[in-house]
Amino acid sequence: MQARKKSIAGLIAAFAVVVSTVAPLASAQAANSAPKGDLILVRNQDFATFDPSFPQNDSIFIQQQVYEPLFMINQDGRNVGPWLAKSAAVATDKVTWTIKLRTDIKFSNGQTMNSADVKFSLDKATNAKGGWEFLNTAIDSVTTPADDTVVIKTKFPWAPLLSDLACFSNAIVPNNYAGKTADAFFKNPIGTGPFMLDHWTPGTEVKLVANKTYWQPGKPYLNSVTWKYVADDNTRELMLKGGQADINEAPPATAVAEMKASGLKVGLFPAAQSAYLGINHKVPALSDVHVRRAISYAIDRKAIIKVVLAGVGFASNSIMAPNVGFYDPKTPGLQYNMKAAAAELAKSKYKKGLKLEYLATGGSAQDNAISSILQASLKKLGVKLVIKSVEPKVKRSMQKAMTYQLTSTAWTMDISDPDELLTFALNAKEGGAFDFYTNYDNPAVKAAVKKGQINVDPKIRQAAYSFVQKKTADDAMMGYLFNAPYIYAWRTNITGFQVTPTYSYHMEDVKKS
Amino acid sequence: MNFLPYIGKRLLQLLPVLFGISLVVFVLVHLIPGEPADVLLGQHATPAMVKVVNHRLGLDRPLWVQYFSFLSRTLHGSLGISFYNKVPVTSLINGRLLVTVMLLTGGILFSLMISVPLAVLAASKRGGARDQFVRGVPVVGLGMPQVWTGIMLILLFGLHFRFFPVGGFGDTFPAHVKSIILPALTIAIGLSPILIRSLRASMLEILDADYILTARVKGISQTRITVVHVLRNAVIASVTVLGLNIAYLVGSTVIIERVFAIAGTGSLMIDAISQRDYPVVQGVTLFFAIIVVVVNLLTDITHAALDPRVALK
Repeated sequence: MQARKKSIAGLIAAFAVVVSTVAPLASAQAANSAPKGDLILVRNQDFATFDPSFPQNDSIFIQQQVYEPLFMINQDGRNVGPWLAKSAAVATDKVTWTIKLRTDIKFSNGQTMNSADVKFSLDKATNAKGGWEFLNTAIDSVTTPADDTVVIKTKFPWAPLLSDLACFSNAIVPNNYAGKTADAFFKNPIGTGPFMLDHWTPGTEVKLVANKTYWQPGKPYLNSVTWKYVADDNTRELMLKGGQADINEAPPATAVAEMKASGLKVGLFPAAQSAYLGINHKVPALSDVHVRRAISYAIDRKAIIKVVLAGVGFASNSIMAPNVGFYDPKTPGLQYNMKAAAAELAKSKYKKGLKLEYLATGGSAQDNAISSILQASLKKLGVKLVIKSVEPKVKRSMQKAMTYQLTSTAWTMDISDPDELLTFALNAKEGGAFDFYTNYDNPAVKAAVKKGQINVDPKIRQAAYSFVQKKTADDAMMGYLFNAPYIYAWRTNITGFQVTPTYSYHMEDVKKS
Repeated sequence: MNFLPYIGKRLLQLLPVLFGISLVVFVLVHLIPGEPADVLLGQHATPAMVKVVNHRLGLDRPLWVQYFSFLSRTLHGSLGISFYNKVPVTSLINGRLLVTVMLLTGGILFSLMISVPLAVLAASKRGGARDQFVRGVPVVGLGMPQVWTGIMLILLFGLHFRFFPVGGFGDTFPAHVKSIILPALTIAIGLSPILIRSLRASMLEILDADYILTARVKGISQTRITVVHVLRNAVIASVTVLGLNIAYLVGSTVIIERVFAIAGTGSLMIDAISQRDYPVVQGVTLFFAIIVVVVNLLTDITHAALDPRVALK
């Protein structure tokens, strides 16, 4: 028992040292030089909000330039390092976390950040009703023993805490919104990030300008960044070619070769995202594991990747994407094999064939390709797949109401820890999503997810998550389709642009010559 | 002619029309599947969170209460707050108004600049080479999808010659004018074929009239006959055609707006529908209805001004 205690203490100490030394800091950097260059980024989504409790992909990346969290996800997407915090240490009780803050951080209004700001921000994030508060479920209390110290107590041992704190929803804002109302604050936000709001015209653009009080010496390099909403793929590409834009967010994969040929830089950034075939286990035929396995074997992933992604992605074998911490590359998944598919179907009571319906997004080239390729494969097994196309929000609504049979679905990680996905996808009670709207229910898998949450030891966590990945693949909980990279294109005078696997970028590192 | 009583009467007729439209749109927008809370909360939305957001937005109240609340707000000059952008709907519409007005005005001006000379050219010699050529224009014009036309114009004048911006609306008025030329030209290329056909047919009919023969016998020049006697009379029918098409264009410029990345009321409407932003959908629909009624009214008045035989009753 004593030996075990010692080993836990040693592990915790080692963890604290690792966290405190993986600092990103640029303390030795050159003194501030005047930012220069006005960068324009074109994107296919309109910005919606500066409230960190509510953002979706439309707003997250822009918010991240204004607000920052205590910890930041690393470029590999698998770990976090200190950012506004200096270090973190968990006590031997495994529920008391002491976080030391940097003392040189200022908000864009000149006010110095301290522990009161952190407490206010974390309490706000925990009590919000915006969709991200589930990440803070384990937090019991936040106290502020000193200006540079925050103590977080969790209700139970909680391994993903630092990853959760690195999420944009836990970004730090001034205590009491610097004396403003919430509405007024989010119209003119104040953060510690490299940029601050210049103007926001809904439906058109958001322009941020350099925060002169930014804590990283010499950064940001740019004078301003403007995100323009340009819905049409062709127009975004033409604006980039014509010099009206510097970076194109999410150009279609099918345009990659052409963009490269025309002299633009194209980045295919490894992504912590997966595309799945959603399977509704409430449908009698699909509650049969052999039918699900047959369908999963019958997915011609290579053909889908060729058509949908012009070959730039790869076949998925796990519920987790390769860039997520604790991903197990040994998880075999059920890869394309028509013989195995026929054998699985023969083991079910639908050996003579059956009829299924695929719910597709109307007008989506991706869904058209996936459904048509799957339809052709399943036809060989005697399974008739009827494709039903509906408007995107109708599809989403039908998926949530579990009134579909098969459909396309996807996930992008927002934190480095797999807990975000696995709680959502495999724990109906806490995730609240009927196991990714599949109704999959496996107590052993749920127990393993729980084990991964409450153990700090990476070996124990890896074993638990490897089990989860193998079991869900064997059960064909969903059909794993592909992992696609994040695609960005930019002009050759732009340097330093990188996207993390969780789909965020550091504009403070970008230069325009 | 005194137009005022007629205008007053038509504006009064607008009220029941707007009431009817508001009711139909309100019911339809609430009937389509998909909730605003889903859009706002994204993938993590749980039933409990959806309930909270629905309460915050007032969507948990009975439908009739929501409708009368909307009516009451509207009568007080407010169209509500956008669920998605959290700003007043009127400010969203105002922000897009200049784009829509400039786009429509530019489109109409270019249409007239293309249609009138070509129709005159065609009608000047029925069945001749010029007529055959001009009659081919509508076939080509109507056969080109606006998306394709827009992209071709961008490639040629935006990317190759760099005369105009590829997309966007610019920050100053001269930049707005420069930005609107290609989109307006795209509209005109789609609209002109209809006007050319209508104008040409009217002109040919008038050219056969006895008073034109009389004018020729009196030795009046062909140019004067064409401009004063033929075109002025022929344009009456085309005004109606143009008026109907403008009303149609108001809500259908979204494709042009998308291709040229200019944020007008068309794209505001489409985005609001996909975001299930009920106040914006309702507000923009009412705005469109007012524009359509006003354009129809202006068409009638112009018709009467051009042709004194038409009485406004």
